[in-house]
Amino acid sequence: MNTDKTLKTKELLAIILLFIGVKMSDSTAAMFSQHAQNAYWLIIVVSLLVMLPPFFLLLYLLRKFKDKNLIELIEHLLGNFIGKFTGFTIFLLSFALMILDSRNYVEEIKLLYFPESPTASIFYIFIAVCFFGAKRGFETIGVTSWIILPFIKISMFFLGFLILGQITWYRIFPIFGNGLDVILTQGIKKASIFSEFIILTIAYTSFRNTKIFQRGSKIGFALVSFELVFFFLLYALIFDYNSIEKLAYPYHDITQFVNFGDFFTNVETFFMVFWLSAAYLRFIIYLYLIAMIFGYVFNVKEYETLLLPLGFITVTLGLLTENAVINELYLRETLLTISTPVFVLLPVLLWLTALIKGDLKRS
Amino acid sequence: MRKLKYSLLLSLITLLLTGCYDKTELEQQAYVVAIGVDKGEKENTYDLTYQIANPEVGSSITGGSSDEAPFELVTVQGIDFMTATATANSFVAKNITLDHTKVLFVSEELARSESFLRGMQGASRTSEIRRQVNIVVTKEDTRTFIETNQPQLETRPHKYYQLMLGRSTETGIVPQSTIHRFFQLTEGDADLFLAMYATTQGEDDKTEGNVDEYIAGQIPKEGGNPTQFMGAAVFKEGKMIDILNGEETRIALILDNTLDMKDLLVTFQDPINKEYQVAGDLSKKDETKVEVDYKKEGPTKIDVTVPFQLEVLAVPSLIDYTNHKKHREKLKESVEGELQETADALVKKAQEEYGSDPFYWSIYIRSQFKTIEEYEQADWNKKIWPNADVTINFDMNRIEFGKMLKDSDLEEVWD
Repeated sequence: MNTDKTLKTKELLAIILLFIGVKMSDSTAAMFSQHAQNAYWLIIVVSLLVMLPPFFLLLYLLRKFKDKNLIELIEHLLGNFIGKFTGFTIFLLSFALMILDSRNYVEEIKLLYFPESPTASIFYIFIAVCFFGAKRGFETIGVTSWIILPFIKISMFFLGFLILGQITWYRIFPIFGNGLDVILTQGIKKASIFSEFIILTIAYTSFRNTKIFQRGSKIGFALVSFELVFFFLLYALIFDYNSIEKLAYPYHDITQFVNFGDFFTNVETFFMVFWLSAAYLRFIIYLYLIAMIFGYVFNVKEYETLLLPLGFITVTLGLLTENAVINELYLRETLLTISTPVFVLLPVLLWLTALIKGDLKRS
Repeated sequence: MRKLKYSLLLSLITLLLTGCYDKTELEQQAYVVAIGVDKGEKENTYDLTYQIANPEVGSSITGGSSDEAPFELVTVQGIDFMTATATANSFVAKNITLDHTKVLFVSEELARSESFLRGMQGASRTSEIRRQVNIVVTKEDTRTFIETNQPQLETRPHKYYQLMLGRSTETGIVPQSTIHRFFQLTEGDADLFLAMYATTQGEDDKTEGNVDEYIAGQIPKEGGNPTQFMGAAVFKEGKMIDILNGEETRIALILDNTLDMKDLLVTFQDPINKEYQVAGDLSKKDETKVEVDYKKEGPTKIDVTVPFQLEVLAVPSLIDYTNHKKHREKLKESVEGELQETADALVKKAQEEYGSDPFYWSIYIRSQFKTIEEYEQADWNKKIWPNADVTINFDMNRIEFGKMLKDSDLEEVWD
């Protein structure tokens, strides 16, 4: 049965690095810096630490119950009714997160590169591209991610390299920013910033074998953590503690900041190309996984047909919020706080049921 | 079915047209290379001067046949950078674009008032003005400055600014003063921001003193462009409070690790024959060491060590420093002493007069605090810095003498 599944570890790595790694260039940084100022990079560390046990627990469960993806596992363990309900909750939360996030990216594109275009038309085109990308299927997404990954990462680390001359290490202090308590509470509350790791397990069975997923996702987790912490720290070192909280898009502020020597100035468009393709891939993956979750919850075998309606709903709902600030600092933040317990506790809940039912011993 | 397909395809093509929303034709853009900001007539308005480059001048494509001026200068009133461009469009034919702005001139009068910081907020909000743009404070109003500024060798304004600012920061007589740094320091609310100081209005030449003890406008010179870049405007909390002369600016640059410093050409008094001076090229290869010993009660101790190298360029007194160890040591001592003296004087001035430091040293004390709250309560500007016990040590770790081993013996020549 594995003949049509060709994806290997490298594709999974590429998917993780694009799906989650792009967070370093959106307004996630701005959301955290509102609370902890220069120490906001520690929030990411805390969030990662909070997400780490549930994620590994989930991976452990998936290994025990072979050949089941996230939704199948939930339904297997929690029974049909509760399982469907939980699956649907996960779908709703991650879909809502995606809607708010996509609006964010659209605002970013509009603000920085297409100030005259109406938000709606950028949004439609953005989602249309994502739809056509996702329509190609998971194999194509994986391969495309792998092909495009080096370009994106090289350009991003090249930017990091160019800006190195501007950093001042001492800006890392005072080490706890607005206080250790702020970092811990925010880190725990917003742990669902990495809910993508849980969502990703819906594709558990889509790779050549499940060992690939086990290994690849762990490596991916480590790489993405490193990348995010590195860039968030970089922003904090370039912009001082009072300035960092004023920036909505630190990544793009940096692209406008750097020059290649005296002759090549205003080079942000160079970085924009790579960033844009990374953003496209992120939402292609996002859209596909969410359609997959919906498909498995409601037993829609041909879940790829769901891409179009889901994409359309994304645009319609995404356009409802008034502006990027409300979207990011109010709606997305609240939603992240609400969904954190769900994503963190779900694997624990599954594990406990499995333990009580005695399923773990049998295998 | 086929008809449906074609009509769908056709309607899809219209999607591509949305790309035209933001199309900009090169021909329709007027690129501003320098913005000048002056105080407006009414409170909280500004006179904004835009220096618009003429891309036809100086490019080889037109064969140099164009008789047009290299730039156009327009001044309008406005409350911020962006809306004023629209006002300017009532008489400038093209769309005014600030993307390629190289310099932001601010008149001293405006810089010394509170409305300057208010106006600068607009600069950080728009993505058109880059963080790399340098802030230059001009003694006169900025329009006069830009008008009088007549570089002979480099008529294209963007190139002129690029070269002028690049070279003058390299020699250390003016500090690098990007908008980025301005905001970091002003919002950080602990240190002084130094901006380049320039003028086109010469005043009475100052003839006494050392070569670098000038501020712009005092340099005795003949010929060349009337513009002078020299010294630094000192900003405290977004407001200009004083001017540092060239020498003080250099010392500030040497003591500050966050600013690039290339080779500085400086002169010192000859320690053996006091009538003469010794010229040298001072360079700093290692970072300045700043050690802060923070004490909650009582003065904080700040120990600074500056390692530097000196390449002697000219010894008019012709004393043989090259081969005499004793002479060399004397020179070393006197150079270190002289630098130390100037630095101490500057530190004293900063502590007593400014109540803040122009060296960005507040960053070294931060590691003593765990949270921003504690750090802000300790209050660098009001409590720590003015009472701090600062010792500065210049440490010359190398001295070189160029490619000559000896100077000619004048006694013998004149014999």
